[in-house]
Amino acid sequence: MDHRPQAWGRPRDDVYGAYDGSYLQSGGPKTATQSPVVTGTSVVAIKYKDGVVIAADNLASYGSLARFTDVKRLRVFLGTSVVGFGGDVSDMQWLDRHLNELAIDESYDDEPSPSSLLSASPNKGHGKLNAANLHVYLQKLMYRRRNDFDPLWNQLLIAGLDAAGKPHLSSVDLRGTAFTSPSLATGFGAALAQPIMRRHAPTEEAAAALTREEAVGVVQECMKVLYYRDARSLDRYSIAVVTKEGVELKEDEQLERQSWAFAERIKGYGTQTV
Amino acid sequence: MFRNNYDNDSVTFSPQGRIFQVEYAAEAVKQGSVVVGIASKTHAVLVAIKRNAEELSSYQKKLFPIDEHTGIAIAGLTSDARVLSNFMKQQCLGHRLSYGRNMPVRSLVDQIGSKAQINTQHYGKRPYGVGLLVAGVDEQGPHLFEFQPSGMTEEMQAFAIGARSQMARTYLEKNLSEFASCGREELVRHGLKALKESLVQDRELTVENTSVGIVGVGKAKDGSTKVEPFKVYDGQDVNAWIDSVADDKEAATAEGETMEVDDE
Amino acid sequence: MTSIGTGYDLANSIFSPDGRNFQVEYAVKAVENGGTSIGIRCKDGVVLAVEKVITSKLLKQGANKRIATVDRHLGVVYSGMIPDGRHFIDRARDEARSWRDTFKNPIPTADLASRMGGYMQAYTLYQSVRPFGITAIVGGWDSELESGVDGEVGRGPSVGAGGKTPGKKYGGPFLYMIEPSGLYWGYYGAATGKGRQAAKAELEKLDLSADGESSLTLEEAVKEAARIIYVAHDDNKDKDFELEMSWISGADGPTKGFHQEVPKALREEAERLAKKSLEDEDEEEEKKEDDKMEE
Repeated sequence: MDHRPQAWGRPRDDVYGAYDGSYLQSGGPKTATQSPVVTGTSVVAIKYKDGVVIAADNLASYGSLARFTDVKRLRVFLGTSVVGFGGDVSDMQWLDRHLNELAIDESYDDEPSPSSLLSASPNKGHGKLNAANLHVYLQKLMYRRRNDFDPLWNQLLIAGLDAAGKPHLSSVDLRGTAFTSPSLATGFGAALAQPIMRRHAPTEEAAAALTREEAVGVVQECMKVLYYRDARSLDRYSIAVVTKEGVELKEDEQLERQSWAFAERIKGYGTQTV
Repeated sequence: MFRNNYDNDSVTFSPQGRIFQVEYAAEAVKQGSVVVGIASKTHAVLVAIKRNAEELSSYQKKLFPIDEHTGIAIAGLTSDARVLSNFMKQQCLGHRLSYGRNMPVRSLVDQIGSKAQINTQHYGKRPYGVGLLVAGVDEQGPHLFEFQPSGMTEEMQAFAIGARSQMARTYLEKNLSEFASCGREELVRHGLKALKESLVQDRELTVENTSVGIVGVGKAKDGSTKVEPFKVYDGQDVNAWIDSVADDKEAATAEGETMEVDDE
Repeated sequence: MTSIGTGYDLANSIFSPDGRNFQVEYAVKAVENGGTSIGIRCKDGVVLAVEKVITSKLLKQGANKRIATVDRHLGVVYSGMIPDGRHFIDRARDEARSWRDTFKNPIPTADLASRMGGYMQAYTLYQSVRPFGITAIVGGWDSELESGVDGEVGRGPSVGAGGKTPGKKYGGPFLYMIEPSGLYWGYYGAATGKGRQAAKAELEKLDLSADGESSLTLEEAVKEAARIIYVAHDDNKDKDFELEMSWISGADGPTKGFHQEVPKALREEAERLAKKSLEDEDEEEEKKEDDKMEE
């Protein structure tokens, strides 16, 4: 008999065999998200003279299943910036709540300042985190999470204004890679929409020459091409125009003047025999 | 018996609802040499009198840069000030890293306020024995804050703390209406004049004992606004300012064509 | 005072033989020295107001706010030791945030009051801490709308989140006052600080019932709040003060459910009316005095 205290109350090893503690150990290394689950596809955005136009469709896919068709993937921050989310939708929701808390923090010291000197105009949200600040913040956040081997499975576009009141458009992905450009697109859009937008705004100067109507037109064109070619896309979409007056967000737009004539000429898919 | 039973720690209220330990800590601020701060629409300046322990020792610094856009002036226990200053530097650096901008001065000051308040509510801690003037510029423009050992922080147009600072405050109150529209140099001169009010008889401002710190809103080449970083001026760098506030009235009356007179 | 010299008042959390914690009572004294704060709950919102006594001419005008936003729909004002109030607000913000983290919804005003009451009470339990030297007034508007959860991306079920009885009213304006002991009650009108007696007397004259034709509207409450602060300041006339006011309305009111500073124009109008009402009263008093003299 084993009378040592650590054996008290235990089945006897000589009768039942040694205690099998293996279930207490997890099998293999620590794991975190290995792949996204419910996903949103492309986000496209382009700068113009007075601001940024950004759009994303309203679909959240579960694999190839068009699972949710009313998902709003453009999120407004402080009424002055817009974040567009591609990738995992639940991570997007986490980020949305996180940014909501950040926005509440910002609203604590709401001191409208009559004598503002460091910014060109007393625009909305003055003295608060602008899109450029938000970009830096999200880049640090995403990079930290990837270093924890627990990435937020998204690619984000941040649209708004910088400290000087100039249009700001930037991107961060799940690795923390961050950059800015006159036009940006995530996911499939990086291949399909980006070339179209670059035709209109190859440089910052060219983007600064675009009018609002032109920019909206280009983005709508991109959304249409994406709907034609991207099997994980939808013809209902959200579009936002961000200027120093604030954010104009429309969340239930319909792609217009679609023409599927080209589809007839596509051969070699599925059960097609001809 | 005891003189006062209620003043042994910072967790005991007196019957009048006062906390003597905090009030005593505020006395430590008055032991420090005087510092003055003024904010205008474009600049915030700090000026200070430095003291040396003895003839041959160096002078204790009074002004410290915190970040590009912020600096502090201290009165009281220098070692306590260093704790707060290190903390403020870290906060500013952290904010710059996370958001890519200058930390708003108000939130920086609120942080040290919260930190100091904790020390007034827990046994075994003591209040900080130092007062600060915090000068900084953020997107709202220039700011001047006063920090007290109680954790009280208030935004001021102009203020003075430290030994005999009441005289300086009286000067500031008298000239308050002028400060908002003052330029950089004018603001420094007002600061130095306030400082002189607080000097004991037959002491004067010298290049050894005077410090000036300036932060402001400057113009970039393309006409846009940008921060003029907080900079501390000591030694010969403050000579011209000291000269410009040399007892001009006396100089003017005492047959003084020789001395340069500063007209306001 | 019966407490002094007994030895029972030298440390927090000590009961005296008649069951009192003197240190908490002394903390109340700190509150009674502070500038007056009030809160008014009326049918369509909440108003908070505070008398900020100007301790120095060198203070920057209008820069030092005393009413704080805790969450979008919640405001706090307090009288007493200002750094303690800052601590209280930091904690209230942490509570509001942790509530959102857990429930994905804004914290109801009653729950915030409860949590902060518990927090204040904890500071009366130990010799290693002292009670808060503040009395805080918490005002909030709990949303009356069918609101989704934080981070919701779609429309959600068309019938709403459920759990609500049809025809019953949800949400609305709430007002609580928390004392250094941790004690808190809900109020129609609350006042604390130096001028609380005068302020309470004025508050009691108002019709603050939740419904009814003659009950106070939010805009009237703003004007009353300004007047009451001016009345409460009357005994303290030699010192200048700044009036700070905030308000919270429902989704269809002027602040759309948010806690905000009262717009400058409205505040100035309220102050003008407050001053006028005081002058009128003075005149009447003088008249009465004169009448008496004549007799």
